[in-house]
Amino acid sequence: MGEARIITTSCSHDCGGRCLLRVHVHDGKIVRIETDDGEAPQLRACLRGRAYRQRIYSPDRLKYPLKRVGARGEGKFQRISWDEALDTVANELLRVRSMYGNASILLLAGSGSQAVLHGAGAVERLLAKFGGYTRTWGIPSFEGALFASMATYGTMMTGNAREDLLNARLIVMWGWNPAVTVWDTNTAYILARAKEKGTRIISIDPRLIESTAVFAAEWIPIRPGTDAAMLVAMAYVIMERRLEDRQFLEKYTVGFDKFRDYVLGVEDGIPKTPTWAEKITGIPRATIEKLAIEYATSKPAALIPGWGPARGSRGEQFTRAACTIIAMTGNIGIAGGYAGGFMRAFHSREMVMPRGARNPVEEGAPPRPYSLYKLRGAAKPTSARIHSVKVYDAILRGRAGGYPCDPKMAYIVASNFLCSYPNTNQGIKAFQKLEFIVVHEQRMTPTARFADILLPVNTFMEREDIISPWLGSPYYLFMNKAIDSLYESKSDRDICAELAPRLGIADYRDGRSNEEWLRIITQQTGDIPDFDSFKAKGYVKLKVDEPFVAFREQIEDPVAHPFPTLSGKIEIYCPHLAEMENPLIPPIAKYLPVPDGFSDPLSKKYPLQLVTVHHKPATHTTMERIPWLDEVEPRRVWINTRDAETRGISNGDRVLVFNDRGKMLMAANVTERIMPGVVSIGHGGWFELDANGVDHGGCTNILTPSEHSPGGAWCTNTVLVEVRKV
Amino acid sequence: MQLGFYIDQSRCINCHTCAVACKDWHNIPAGSVNWRWVVSVEQGKYPRVFVAFFALSCLHCAKPACIPACPVGAITKRQADGIVLVDRDACLGKEDCGLCREACPYKAPQFATDGEAKMQMCHLCADRWQEGRKPVCVEACPMRALDAGPLDKLEARYGMLKQVPGFVYAAESRPSVVFKARQPELLQ
Ligand code: SF4
Repeated sequence: MGEARIITTSCSHDCGGRCLLRVHVHDGKIVRIETDDGEAPQLRACLRGRAYRQRIYSPDRLKYPLKRVGARGEGKFQRISWDEALDTVANELLRVRSMYGNASILLLAGSGSQAVLHGAGAVERLLAKFGGYTRTWGIPSFEGALFASMATYGTMMTGNAREDLLNARLIVMWGWNPAVTVWDTNTAYILARAKEKGTRIISIDPRLIESTAVFAAEWIPIRPGTDAAMLVAMAYVIMERRLEDRQFLEKYTVGFDKFRDYVLGVEDGIPKTPTWAEKITGIPRATIEKLAIEYATSKPAALIPGWGPARGSRGEQFTRAACTIIAMTGNIGIAGGYAGGFMRAFHSREMVMPRGARNPVEEGAPPRPYSLYKLRGAAKPTSARIHSVKVYDAILRGRAGGYPCDPKMAYIVASNFLCSYPNTNQGIKAFQKLEFIVVHEQRMTPTARFADILLPVNTFMEREDIISPWLGSPYYLFMNKAIDSLYESKSDRDICAELAPRLGIADYRDGRSNEEWLRIITQQTGDIPDFDSFKAKGYVKLKVDEPFVAFREQIEDPVAHPFPTLSGKIEIYCPHLAEMENPLIPPIAKYLPVPDGFSDPLSKKYPLQLVTVHHKPATHTTMERIPWLDEVEPRRVWINTRDAETRGISNGDRVLVFNDRGKMLMAANVTERIMPGVVSIGHGGWFELDANGVDHGGCTNILTPSEHSPGGAWCTNTVLVEVRKV
Repeated sequence: MQLGFYIDQSRCINCHTCAVACKDWHNIPAGSVNWRWVVSVEQGKYPRVFVAFFALSCLHCAKPACIPACPVGAITKRQADGIVLVDRDACLGKEDCGLCREACPYKAPQFATDGEAKMQMCHLCADRWQEGRKPVCVEACPMRALDAGPLDKLEARYGMLKQVPGFVYAAESRPSVVFKARQPELLQ
C-alpha cells in the first residue's frame, strides 16, 4: 500500500460549525479523515465530519438518474440516462412555464450545502435565468430571532467573537446548547475556558442539556414558550430596584418608557412581577429575582438568547424581550457583553456568488404584510414568497387560499423537505397534488422517494468550492476535491449547466469556469490575499488584534455611527412594528400566551409540551442513517421520571407519541434531565409510516404544526402531545 | 516508561468525536466493538441533577488484570512504553474464553459479535506513537479534554487525581490515568 495523499477541505452542511478536514485518499478512495492539527485556532471537526467516510460510501448513495415507475412516494424507480433525465426535467419546466407561468415553479431549497458554488444557489441561478420561480421565506432555524434582531437593531450582525466570552463576568445561556449545535467551531471550547477562568455560567432550558451539564453553575428549568414572561419579570425586578442603566437607555435607545408602562402594568393593569411570571414559567419567584439582580449587577455580562426558544409560536417576543433587558443593562458594544438578536459576528459569512439574474417573479411584487420592509439587510420581504411552513397548504389551495401562486411543480435541492418541515402528513398529501417533482439528492431520502425524476448529486468531497463559518468567525476554508464523483453523480452546478441549453439559456456559467468564479469570490472578500496559497493551504485564518464586539462603534461614537434602524437607535419600541397594528407582533416585547402552549385548553387532551431539539449526530437529516453516528445516540423521547411513572413507562420502553396531526413510535429515555410536563425528541428523522400511519423513523415533524408567527417564527417548539406505552 | 491518558471530565461534552475518530482511524465497523467509549453519569433528582461525561478506553494498567486472566498468554505489556497489546492469532476468542474482559475492571477488552471474535482493544495508537504523534482521540477532541503521554509527565502537569464520579480507581491494577473532575455545582 503506497502513501495516502492528504487533501484539505471542510464540511458544508448546516451543522453549526465549519471545521477543517484532512482527508486521506489512497488509490482514489477515502481511507481516513483527520482534522486540524495546525496553527491556532485549530478548527477541530466534530463526530459528524469524522464519520463522513460512511456517508460518502453509504449504500443509500444515489448512483444513476432515476425515473419513478411506481406510485409517487412508493420508492419504485428505474435507471435512466442523464440525457433522458435532463430532457424530462427541461420539458417539464418548459411545459409548466408555458401552461401556468413561472410562478408555478416552486423551488424548495434546503440547507444541505452551504458552500458558495454548489447547492441551492446553483438552481436559484438557473431558474432566475429561466424567467423566475416561487421561493419560500421563513428559515426554520432562526426566522423569529432574525425578525427580532432587525426590529431592535436593524441588522443581523449583532454577535461578538467567540473569544470575547472570556471577557464576560457572567454568561447566561438561554435555550442555547453549543455543545451540540456547535454555533461556530470552538464555541464550547471557549465556554470551557471561560468557566476555568472563573466566569459564572447559568443555563435556562427545559432540559439539562450537555452545555448545562458541563459549563453551568446553575440550571433553571423553564416551561417551553414562556421565556418572554421570565424576561419581562426580570425587567420588572430591574426597574423596581432601579438597576437599569439610565444613561445608556437615554443615549442609545427609543421607547423604554412604553416598555416600562407595560411591565409595571400601567398599560394593562397587570404588573409583570416575579409572582406573575412564576405561574407562567414554573420558575420560583425568588429565582427570577435573583437572576435579574445578578444579571443587572454583573457587567459585563453575556446573555445569549439561543434560537431555540424563538422557534416557537410568538417566538419573536423571546428575542425581543432578551434584547430589551440586554439594552436596559447596557451590555451592548462592550467587551464581555452580548447584544443578543441574530448574533452573526463577522462578515465572512456574507461571501456569496454574485447573483446572476434577479428573480423576475418577485420583481414589482409589493412587500409582504408584517415584514420589516423599510429595513435593509435581511432576506427580501416580498409578498411573492410563501412561508416555508405553508408550502403544503399553498400546494393544496393555491391562489384561492390567498397564496401568491398555484404551485404545479417542485424543484427540490439540498433538502429532505418532508422530514424537515412541519406537518409531514399534510406534506405527503400535498406532494401527491403536484404535476411534477424533480429532486437533486445524494442519498435515497424519504423526500427523494417522492421524486418523478431523481438526480444523483455528488458530495462536497467530490468537487471544489469555498466556504466560510456559520456565524461569521474570522476565517475561510477552501474545499479541495478529494475524489472523483462516485458512480454517475454530478454537482448541482454541472446539472444546471447541462439543463441550461435545453431551456434556451445560453450561458449559465456567465462565461467563467468554477475556478474563475472562486477566484472572483475570494477576491471580493477583501480578506484573502492570495487565491493559490489559500487553495494550497486550505484555509485563511485572519489575525485579529482584539475579539470582535458588535456595535462597538455605535456605542463609542453614536453620532458618526447610528444603529441601522429607522431611528438610528436601539428600538425597544419599534415604530415600524407599531404601524402594522398586529397584536401578535406588538411594538414592544411582550409575553403572549399561545395556542398549543401549556395554557391552551387542548392541554387537557395532550398534557405534555414537546420540544424538538437538535439531534447531535444528525445535522437535521443530512447525517441520518450513518452507522458510526446512529450508534452514538439513537433518537429517543426524553420524559421525566414522574411523567413516566404516571404512565407506567420504564426506561427503554417503546412508546407512542401522538397528537391530532400524527403518531410516532420510539423508545423512551426516562430521565431527571427534563422538566416534568415536557418531552423532547431530536428533530429531523427519516419517516417510515406503517400501515396505520404511525411513523417508526423518528420524524418529529409528523407532530409539529404548519403554523408560523407573523414575524415568521416557526412553531416547532410549541407542540402538545401525549405519550403512551405500547 | 509508562504511557497513559489524561481525561478531563470537566470539559467532556459527550460528543463522541473521540470514539468516531477512533473507529475511522482503525477502520472498525459500527455495531461491533468500541476501543473508546463515553461514560455518562447522572445523579440526583430533578431539579438538582448532576450530569457529567468522560471518555474511556483500555487504560494500560501498571498491573493489568487481563494478562494473568488469559489462559494462553496472548496479552502482553510492552516493556518500552507499557502499552498492553493482544496477539489476536493466539487469542481463543469470546466463545471459548473471554476471561480477559471479565477480569478487566473497565471491560476494556472487546469482542465483536461476528466472525471469530478475537479480542481487540485500544493500543494507544501505537502506530501513531511510532511517528511521534499522539493517539487519534487526543488530536480529535474538540474540547481538548484528552491527553496522552508518559504517565509521570501527565501527573506532573495535571495532578494526581485518580478517581472522578463514575470512575473507581482499581488499586490492584493501577490504571495509567489521571483525571480532572466535574464539580457537583448543579447539586447545590
Ligand atoms: S471528543 Fe472529547 S469532549 Fe467529545 S466525547 Fe470524546 S473526550 Fe468527550
